Amino acid sequence: MRFPYVLFPARPDAAFPARQAVARPALAISLRRGGSDIITYALVDSGADNCIFPASLAGQLGITIPNQNAYVFSGTQDAPQLAYFETVTASVWDVAANRPHTFELYAGFCATLEHIGLGLLGQDGFFSRFTVAFDHRNRYFDVTPTPES
Amino acid sequence: MAAMAPLDLTEVLKNAPPGDWIALSNDEKRIVATGRTLDETVKAAKESGEAHPIVLKVPPVSALIV
Repeated sequence: MRFPYVLFPARPDAAFPARQAVARPALAISLRRGGSDIITYALVDSGADNCIFPASLAGQLGITIPNQNAYVFSGTQDAPQLAYFETVTASVWDVAANRPHTFELYAGFCATLEHIGLGLLGQDGFFSRFTVAFDHRNRYFDVTPTPES
Repeated sequence: MAAMAPLDLTEVLKNAPPGDWIALSNDEKRIVATGRTLDETVKAAKESGEAHPIVLKVPPVSALIV
């Protein structure tokens, strides 16, 4: 599956005075649980250990948090952060095949991602399931299911 | 596989309120609702006729390191 980088708006600042946009390897992903679903963007992030989404999305999926599947992790913030995990059904659109590619995902939901408003697709759950090749110059990335996934 | 142009959301998001939830149309071409909470944003998007909006935020600070 090939996905384009997404250009998000950015404001120029002292360090990057000409910057008007940032290109990120992100994709639209549908999360479903029971009869509920939500579509959001998620950043394909090899530096993230797990797949984590803003906490608000849990409510849309009928997932009550906090739950017993608590996970403490650290990011760029000083304080430890808490995510609550639940298994959901995830789908991304395979343009070449003209159909969704669907997989089970043990996803975390975290209040500290609320201000970002994007999900993170990390090592356990995404990179463990797909081989990912980034082509920043040409602004696309390829996501190939591993044989075991 | 063929090369692919980036998905450019800069124009559609240029007037999006930073820090608010935003619902895009499923074709990613227009904003169909915004709101302080995700619940109210999704509700407004569906009331506008968009059954499968794509939700995101434009962070107040444009740099992103997570």
